[in-house]
Amino acid sequence: MSSIDKALLTLNDVERISSRSTSAMSVRDVRAKLIVTVAYLVAVLSFPLDNLGGIIIFAIYPLVGCTMADISYGRVLKLSLYTLPFIAFIGIFNPLFDHRPMLHVGTVAISEGWIQFLSIIVRGLLSVQATLLLILSSGFISVCRGLKGLGLPDIFATQLFLLYRYIFVLLQEARSMQMARTARGYGRTSYGMRFWAVFVGQLLLRTADRAERLHRAMLSRGFCGMFPLSHPLRWQWSDTLFVIVWTALFVAGRLCDIPLLFTHIFNRI
Amino acid sequence: MHMADALVSPAVAAGAAVVSVAALIVAANKVKKSDSTNIVPLMGVIGAFIFAAQMINFSIPGTGSSGHIVGGVLAAALLGPWAGLITVASVLVVQCLVFADGGLMAIGCNILNMGICTTFIGYALVYRWIAGRSLTPWRIFLGAILGCIVGLEAGAVLVTAETEMSGITALSWNQFFALMTSIHFAIGAGEGIATGFLLYFVAKTRPSLLLSEAPAQSQARETRSLRPVMIVFGALAIIFGITFTWIASSHPDGLEWSIERLTGSTDIINDTAAATRSAFANVQNVTSVLPDYDSTWSGIIGCTMVVILTWAILTCMRHRRHATQTVK
Repeated sequence: MSSIDKALLTLNDVERISSRSTSAMSVRDVRAKLIVTVAYLVAVLSFPLDNLGGIIIFAIYPLVGCTMADISYGRVLKLSLYTLPFIAFIGIFNPLFDHRPMLHVGTVAISEGWIQFLSIIVRGLLSVQATLLLILSSGFISVCRGLKGLGLPDIFATQLFLLYRYIFVLLQEARSMQMARTARGYGRTSYGMRFWAVFVGQLLLRTADRAERLHRAMLSRGFCGMFPLSHPLRWQWSDTLFVIVWTALFVAGRLCDIPLLFTHIFNRI
Repeated sequence: MHMADALVSPAVAAGAAVVSVAALIVAANKVKKSDSTNIVPLMGVIGAFIFAAQMINFSIPGTGSSGHIVGGVLAAALLGPWAGLITVASVLVVQCLVFADGGLMAIGCNILNMGICTTFIGYALVYRWIAGRSLTPWRIFLGAILGCIVGLEAGAVLVTAETEMSGITALSWNQFFALMTSIHFAIGAGEGIATGFLLYFVAKTRPSLLLSEAPAQSQARETRSLRPVMIVFGALAIIFGITFTWIASSHPDGLEWSIERLTGSTDIINDTAAATRSAFANVQNVTSVLPDYDSTWSGIIGCTMVVILTWAILTCMRHRRHATQTVK
């Protein structure tokens, strides 16, 4: 499957999952979900690198969130794994350079570098999962409306709406062009720079023509530079409760030494 | 170059977000005040074009691999730096939210590294200076290549600074700086050649697209001699060459550095942390019924068990709910 097909599939997946859902998570005001997501990210990312146990416990939010949103956690986990290579590339230097022993499994010592590496991976996965939960339970357009409600400049919000709508159209166009070229290319998957420039340049010219037609159509329908947003956002008491409960849990999880608590429990057992 | 949330601390992410949001607000006001009425839909489709063009790879000669454009200099060349910044930032937001490419907390860092650096340093300071109004093939190519290299290098330096300030990587500043700048020099050159070819194609077939900036901006596009450009970049090359040589010769290699950290650390925080761990270990030796497991280990096991248990319970609940719904 080409990268264009994968991108289209992901976009369609996001639209399909977010539009059909009427779950407890989906009906929350998107601004509440944005605030909770940011609070979660701040809590997870402010942990010291060597506190792996403290970070792992924060996996509960994506798990509970996915259940509340009626989304398979396996799907979110699979999507989040795509981000691993770059995180692993940066994190892998820690075990190479930091050999101070931190844990012992029998006689085998595990260095602080490896704990830090695992910690970076877990932080990366959890933060991506929180973002995916937000977008899958709300949809991209709804998140943009939430951002606008939280003070995003009008022109940037309009740009996001237009961009998102046109990504589908242009990816289809690029897919058709690439399919036509592949069918005539005898197995070639990438092209020399000169051919690539003509190929992508043609896409750009088609894009510009489309922009011109789009602009005329919009002007004829009364467009004055910004999109008026229908369906005003409604903040309810349950949204306030949602924000307070989750934020309090994150603060408690961040401030209490949960791994130490488990140490005491293990020792008592 | 998309930074994930795992690579930045909240303080660094907040600092970068403040800079990026301020730049976006200024850019939004500039675009709003500009006379070009069709700029907003054009920004939307150019953003979608950059997104689609990133999916089409070109082959890199001699390496067997392929690459794609990033689009910052290209967007600025077609729309101007302010509208270009908003366009690149919107592409980054879509990539972050829909494709998990770059983190939500790190979005300020990514807009700063890939948006502001490419549209303002790469395009406004380099490409426009070299290419100006004279869209000859050599000027377009030189401007695009140097613009992309300088823009990406500036972004790479910022990635290094942000990661080091966040305290995530064990690599020292010098090692990480050398790694990032050398990789992104090659990426910038490839991106520059691709952008040059694309801009040359546009200049030949539809030159009006490249001259669509506001009149105030186009006044600055004057034809200049290439000699000062050559002198400036020659001087920069010499300075960077000397700097890299100094870094390579005056600092220990990775193995020496790790030995130094193991044996001769003078870091107060590390000493304090080690003393705390030692004190906990002593207490635990007295009280523990499972002496093989130290506090970190049991903490990790305990937390993991809770998470697995939660997952199991939630999965059971979900299956049960689905079963009930199916029966109904």
